[in-house]
Amino acid sequence: MTDRRNWAGLALAAPALSIVAVFFVAPLLMSAVLAFRGTDGGLTFAHFAKAFEYYSTDLWFSAWIVTLSTLAIGVVAIAIAGYLTLGEHPRTVAILRWLYRWPLFIPFIVTAQVMRTFLAKNGMLNHVLIGSGLIEPLQAQSLLDWRGIVIAFVWKQAPFVTLLLAGAMAAIDRQHIEAARNLGANRWRVLFGIVLPQARRTLMVGLVLSFVSMLSVLSVPMMINPNSPTMLTVDIAYRINSHGDYAVANALCLMSLVLASFGAWFYLREAAAKKAEPK
Amino acid sequence: MRTFRNTLSIALVAAGAAAGYAIPSAAQVTLNVVTAGDQNMVDYVNQFLGPKFEAQNPGVKVRAVGTGPGDAGSQKILEKLEAQQKAGSTAWDTDVAVVHQRGAATMVKENLLAPYRNEIAAGKLVSRDSATNALGQNVDGYVIPMFHSQIAFAYNPAVVKTPPKSYAELAQWVQKNPKQFGYNGVKGGMSGVGFVMGWVAANSGMGAQLEKGPYDPSKKAVIDKSLESLRDFNKYVVLTPGNAGTLDMLNRGEIAMGPVWVDMFYTWVADGKMPPNVKLELPQPGLPGQPMYYVVPAKAANAALAKKFIDFAASPAIQAEGIVKKFNWYPGIDAQYVKSQMDDKSWNKLFADIPPDTLQQYGRPFPLSQYFTDILEGYERVVLK
Amino acid sequence: MRPGAAALGETLARTVVLLLLAFAIFGPLANLVLWGFAERWYFPHKLPQEFGLTYWARVFAPRGSALASLWTSVGVACLTVLVTLAVAVPAGYALARLKLPVRTLILLVFLLPQAVPNLPVYVNIARVFYEINLNGTILGVVLVHASHGLVLAVWIASAAFASVDISLEEAARNMGASPWRCWTSVTLPLALPGLIASAIFVFLESLDEFTGTYFVGVPDVTTMPLLMFNASMGGNYQIASITALLLLVPSILFMLLVERFLKADVLAAIGR
Repeated sequence: MTDRRNWAGLALAAPALSIVAVFFVAPLLMSAVLAFRGTDGGLTFAHFAKAFEYYSTDLWFSAWIVTLSTLAIGVVAIAIAGYLTLGEHPRTVAILRWLYRWPLFIPFIVTAQVMRTFLAKNGMLNHVLIGSGLIEPLQAQSLLDWRGIVIAFVWKQAPFVTLLLAGAMAAIDRQHIEAARNLGANRWRVLFGIVLPQARRTLMVGLVLSFVSMLSVLSVPMMINPNSPTMLTVDIAYRINSHGDYAVANALCLMSLVLASFGAWFYLREAAAKKAEPK
Repeated sequence: MRTFRNTLSIALVAAGAAAGYAIPSAAQVTLNVVTAGDQNMVDYVNQFLGPKFEAQNPGVKVRAVGTGPGDAGSQKILEKLEAQQKAGSTAWDTDVAVVHQRGAATMVKENLLAPYRNEIAAGKLVSRDSATNALGQNVDGYVIPMFHSQIAFAYNPAVVKTPPKSYAELAQWVQKNPKQFGYNGVKGGMSGVGFVMGWVAANSGMGAQLEKGPYDPSKKAVIDKSLESLRDFNKYVVLTPGNAGTLDMLNRGEIAMGPVWVDMFYTWVADGKMPPNVKLELPQPGLPGQPMYYVVPAKAANAALAKKFIDFAASPAIQAEGIVKKFNWYPGIDAQYVKSQMDDKSWNKLFADIPPDTLQQYGRPFPLSQYFTDILEGYERVVLK
Repeated sequence: MRPGAAALGETLARTVVLLLLAFAIFGPLANLVLWGFAERWYFPHKLPQEFGLTYWARVFAPRGSALASLWTSVGVACLTVLVTLAVAVPAGYALARLKLPVRTLILLVFLLPQAVPNLPVYVNIARVFYEINLNGTILGVVLVHASHGLVLAVWIASAAFASVDISLEEAARNMGASPWRCWTSVTLPLALPGLIASAIFVFLESLDEFTGTYFVGVPDVTTMPLLMFNASMGGNYQIASITALLLLVPSILFMLLVERFLKADVLAAIGR
């Protein structure tokens, strides 16, 4: 019985799996071997050594930027989704629900472009801050460094996580929330004590998806700050476009994949925890 | 599996047609022109060259697709041709490609191109070194320059009364005017790369050797030494995000001077994105420039038509009307053939800021590809650490 | 404090926070709209000196084929959603309900296309597609987009099925419904909101994709994001902004259409 269900499950998953296997995993392996192949055709780690020598700073920079962005996305998503679920002012909830989604429809590259003109020293943000008397003209500074990258990432990805999280929170049995409120718990207690723990897994998955996709985005660091230190995707594009050097580029890709797998590790841990949980 | 795929294809194509995707009629020949560079390159083919060529050749449709600015754009064309070569395709889907020097050099080396220049009339009109040599690679017969472009300093005369005339003057100027000069490093595009190449040529004393060879790997130390002074220089300047990033900061008045591609600069002026008083200047001992090349892939499906198209595009009349007059680009073929086709006023507009003799003297080629790599990696080791 | 004053303070705080959020979201978007209509805009002017439609005319120039590529984009995105859902629904169901060996590994394989910087990978995909004559076809582009979007569809579909209460299915079976009938009349309707949400994300992914489209589609299949990418990278802000604004239209229409099916945004337990 178990065996048959095993096979049935695999058969159902097979079409989807084969699309990814044929159209992504196989080509990925074809390029990954280049990272290990020397000029003589033999196995070598020289490309990794070179990648480390030139780009280790950018590796840590990428890890730091993406981690920071992921944390910020989490905070924003919890705040907005939490208010959408527990807010007591219907009109505010309605406005917020309409408001937060817009960046979902803006591609990464356009996000990068608008942020470049918005966050610059003489950009619109500073014009507004100066115009409203919040800062002096001389205090205006460009945010187009690591901060610009983080802002662009959070702006673009927070609505995605929020949408998932708000959905998960809406699915929670309202009786739990009402009961806690009746017992006198304030909204913060309800959010962090009842709602968030039940929606934690969805939040985690949204954050993991954001984490890995931010790691593989080229346009945002390319258009906001491609100068050192920058993110690995810029270095990969640079190795290919300026040097035609696929070996080091692929080594960098694999290093980026290792970073991504840290994200996946969180996911694995969640999945393992779930299995241990009694139903 | 095969029939399944075919059935699926048919179903999807039918659905695609239903969704509004127009399938071109089979009676026409479509000439596929794939071009690296900015959107204006696509516009040039689609709006200007294409209609004229189609009028002369009934039944032909010219379709232009862009692959993006800079060497990245050329690299994408290279990769697509390489994929078709490795797949053993016999009729490649690109008939004419427009690429940068680095792309063309690699394509010739990897047998991805067909020689054609000696087969067409316009082939005799070229005179620049770059028509036979790209970064040290012999490309004789495989390319015709579409236009030549040059890196130059753009500066705002309202802020920079007397622009520095040389790299040495520039180094002093930035100390007095910190954060007023901006360039885009080496990872954001060729205008920054060109500035670094020019810096090394000016400060290493090996300018001629970088361009003409011979290649000497032991010169790395000399190159690194000249890059050390660039590291100090960088403390006083702004690093901009890409070729367009430098123009962008000039647009918002955040920097007063920076190296830009002349053709991009004029596009920004035409698009109303550059203060009209901003001028160009070419410092001593020069900045690199390079052409965009017309090339024909080795197994282009419509090779004969492709050659006819390039012959047309490189003809003096088209170069005069399209390249010089409409876009303010330096012509790809020899200047004398182009100049005789047009009025002096339009011709002189080309040299409003940079006179012809200055261009001749200080418009340099890029270094040989080995030096090019040494300088870029030297920059990463010395300047970025 | 009097209760009235407290309420007033709260209203004020709410308004301020909403306004700040609106600025954070619409400030950058305003830039997009301004550049879409700016004919002249440079320092020291804080707003465009001249507005106009010149660049719209350029985008819609008869030979620019912007409309054709917009339709192609929409067509490809719709087909991608269909293909993706067709394979993701059984996969999601299996992952949620059936015992699967190496279940976690399978979930992670779907994550790969999102996790790897994909430029070097697409070069190889192009090569394989040329070998099997799939290059330059709508099908080829759809398959590449689908492999990229599958993680969203599979993870979300799996979550949607996991959140369907098994006792409801058992009740249906006990009343004599066939497995197929039970699935179509109980399981699928209950999982539908989640599936629809995944459709939105897959649609958006496909609509905005350009690297894969270039390598497997160009020159026979060109989509709008290719134009947007070139324009944006080259600093042609007007053209890039206009194409981005045009792409907003199908995105938002699709969202509105799909949300009519989506009662509340019920997206529980994704990735369980």
